[in-house]
Amino acid sequence: MMRSSHFVPMFIVGVVLIALYFPIMLLANYPAAARALQRGAVLECKTALECSFDMRSPIIPAPAQLLRGVRSLYFPPTSETSVPYNAFFTGLETLSGLALASIVGLGLAVLLVASKAFERALLPWLVASQTVPIIAIAPMLAVLLGQYGVEGWIPKAIIAAYIAFFPIAIGVSKGLRSPDPIQVDLMKTYNAGSLQTFAKLRFPSSIPYLFTAFKVSVTAALIGAIISESATISGAGLGKMLSENSRASDAVGLWLVMIGSAVLGILLVSIVGWLERVVTPWQRNR
Amino acid sequence: MIVSHWNSSEAWSGLSVVISCVLALVGLLGVGGVSSGVVSLLSAPRAKNKTGFNLVLSIISLLPAILLAVVAVVLVEALIHAFQIPVAQIPAPTAVIQKFLESRQVLWRDTQTTLLEAGVGYLIGASLGVIVAILVSRYQFLNKGLMPYATIFSSIPIVALAPVIVKAAGLEWGSKAAVVAITIFFPVLVNTARGLLEVNPLTIDLMRSYAADPRRVFMDLRIPNALPYIFNALKISTTLALIGAIVAEFFGSTGSGLGFRILVETGQASFDSVWAAINIASFLGIIFYNLAALLERRVTGWHVSFRE
Repeated sequence: MMRSSHFVPMFIVGVVLIALYFPIMLLANYPAAARALQRGAVLECKTALECSFDMRSPIIPAPAQLLRGVRSLYFPPTSETSVPYNAFFTGLETLSGLALASIVGLGLAVLLVASKAFERALLPWLVASQTVPIIAIAPMLAVLLGQYGVEGWIPKAIIAAYIAFFPIAIGVSKGLRSPDPIQVDLMKTYNAGSLQTFAKLRFPSSIPYLFTAFKVSVTAALIGAIISESATISGAGLGKMLSENSRASDAVGLWLVMIGSAVLGILLVSIVGWLERVVTPWQRNR
Repeated sequence: MIVSHWNSSEAWSGLSVVISCVLALVGLLGVGGVSSGVVSLLSAPRAKNKTGFNLVLSIISLLPAILLAVVAVVLVEALIHAFQIPVAQIPAPTAVIQKFLESRQVLWRDTQTTLLEAGVGYLIGASLGVIVAILVSRYQFLNKGLMPYATIFSSIPIVALAPVIVKAAGLEWGSKAAVVAITIFFPVLVNTARGLLEVNPLTIDLMRSYAADPRRVFMDLRIPNALPYIFNALKISTTLALIGAIVAEFFGSTGSGLGFRILVETGQASFDSVWAAINIASFLGIIFYNLAALLERRVTGWHVSFRE
């Protein structure tokens, strides 16, 4: 995956990006800090430059503030208000949503491939649904499921699944059609039934497509889970933390939740990548 | 667990709702089957390059889908009236249309706001993405040092980014445009860089044997090679732009925008307005996507994927 020749350039670019953070932060915070000083607010810092590093509600938090925040928001990881605890729940919701989505998506894809009528009637809508900001439905769905007594992590998983199953259905139906006509003919010469052709040829060749779809939909599912958490504000999750911190306008907290969500997103994508390598070892030479 | 919240009569009505929904689904499948049979009968004698006739055919081939949608909407309407489901749960399609007509001025303003955010963010994000991709293709160092980060960044959920940016850049439309631009930047960058770099080595050798200077190689080989990739990214990005704008509006706005409307009306359980806003957003998404697809067809009509 990552070649060693990438290391030095990556390191240098990383250092430059981190070094750029300071001037950008100062540029963003300095005017606000200067204004606070002029207003004569009682502050521990003397100059505006000093204050930019230690504002109560910074526009971009200073690294030291972030580190302090890490201590209070990430430790201990088992506490109910910590980022890792909530990220764990969000991750669980996303993965169960993805599992549900793959069941529905697979079923739909099989129907699409098996029945011409079904495809004619449904495919245009499935394709159109790819161009629609489906996330807009999440807050309403979360509230609606709550009215029917579906609470806790289940509605979030359902919403994550709802957002994730379109790409899976499309991807898998593409994959089920991907075998070469020659291969299909070969199965015919073996006197294989359509069920056998499906199990031995079509299904295995759709798996790489399934994983390609997974990589798209895992991020989508994560977004769906977080949005539905922030819409219901019940239970645990990063979305709940986001909306709480957003309302309390706690900038450092927001940044830390953002970093937590970013790490979770990267983790989930790499889990999918790892699963792909385990399940489809024949694809490894790509 | 779900059922335990209902008493027995509610459970019974819930069951009958489920049964009706299943029957309705079976009926829909039947409609799809019959109409697609009719279509395949109609479109059997394939026209030979008569564009007018082809247009009619393509409309006819969409007929099952259109019929399905119409029947589905009518069914939903009938089911909602039959079981007297209140607007606070699922509004009937007619109620949504009525609400849409009633509050069309508010919705129009929301649409304008969201379009402004998504459009400006789209233009900025896409052009920045292409520019950085050109730099990446020019300098091997940047390719090695920057692209791994870009791949990592594209798996970050935008929801987490939105409140931070809205907090830092204010509640005006600019902050939402910034969210959209950042959302779009990475897919455009990754796709464009791939298109610029994955050029057939043989064609590069050919250009060299023509003594073409690097500028010519870039203009005549790399850019045309990258165009399909760029347009693919631009098409994906149309949806992402709207998602970014709507999600960013969830975390603060100055009081207009489709995302704002959806969130506020959800809080008041007036789901007819929510559905109206969602339908507008979907409509915008389809138009936006097809505009990008149209542009793609215009610019890269020569590409293999468009040949019959």
